[in-house]
Amino acid sequence: MSGVGTRSLARERTRLAWRRTALGLAGGAVAGARLLQDVVGPAAWLLALAGLAAALLVARFARRRHESDPLLTQRGGRLVTTVAVGTLLVGIAALVVLLALATGRVSVL
Amino acid sequence: MPQPGRPDEPPAARPAAHGDDRAPRTAEASRPRFPARVYAVGAEPDARFSLANERTFLAWVRTALALLAGGVALEALDLPVLPGLRLAAAVLLVVLGTLAPVLAWWGWARTERAIRTGRPLPAPVGFAVLVVGACVAGALVLIGLVLR
Repeated sequence: MSGVGTRSLARERTRLAWRRTALGLAGGAVAGARLLQDVVGPAAWLLALAGLAAALLVARFARRRHESDPLLTQRGGRLVTTVAVGTLLVGIAALVVLLALATGRVSVL
Repeated sequence: MPQPGRPDEPPAARPAAHGDDRAPRTAEASRPRFPARVYAVGAEPDARFSLANERTFLAWVRTALALLAGGVALEALDLPVLPGLRLAAAVLLVVLGTLAPVLAWWGWARTERAIRTGRPLPAPVGFAVLVVGACVAGALVLIGLVLR
């Protein structure tokens, strides 16, 4: 397991990948809120807040996971699974929004 | 644990000592790693392999987020595309974006298992669906632009 210490580039790349993903989530939430603002009003910004909070949590948990356990021997796949399920839920929500937009029932939201 | 012979012990001493015993690392180590389907088999690999697997998973998640954003934006921005085809493309993109995290997790788990057991890596899952789906969505938008 040489090269996986604190200076490992693999760890650095992985940390940056987590950060990019969190940034994508934050940016997507703000962009989505901006798009939805025209149809559901200021309530859309609750979505932005939720997305930003989720992004912060992902970044934070990812950092803690890698700093406290650089060899990943203890943490396992809980964060990975949580992120997958969260993205799945975002997808389902996007599908609902899309169908609501298409059928013009957006005012119900 | 209760010691009747020492009643003069200050009450705060015991919780503090207990707190010292439970270092976070110990608590984490005693917790079984999830999912067992992955971690119950094989041996601990070089962490770099696990890290690379994790990055691949994250790349899939970002792809999913991009597909979702693209699908919603396509419909919400009121682009000059034939409405029926535009909606079809948007739904296709969002469905792909919903499918992607599932494929990502499945691929991550299968790969991690293969790494731990020393087997050859499994073939990637869902590439065909993603490629064909994205191409079809692009074609729908193109046709919708022309036929508008």
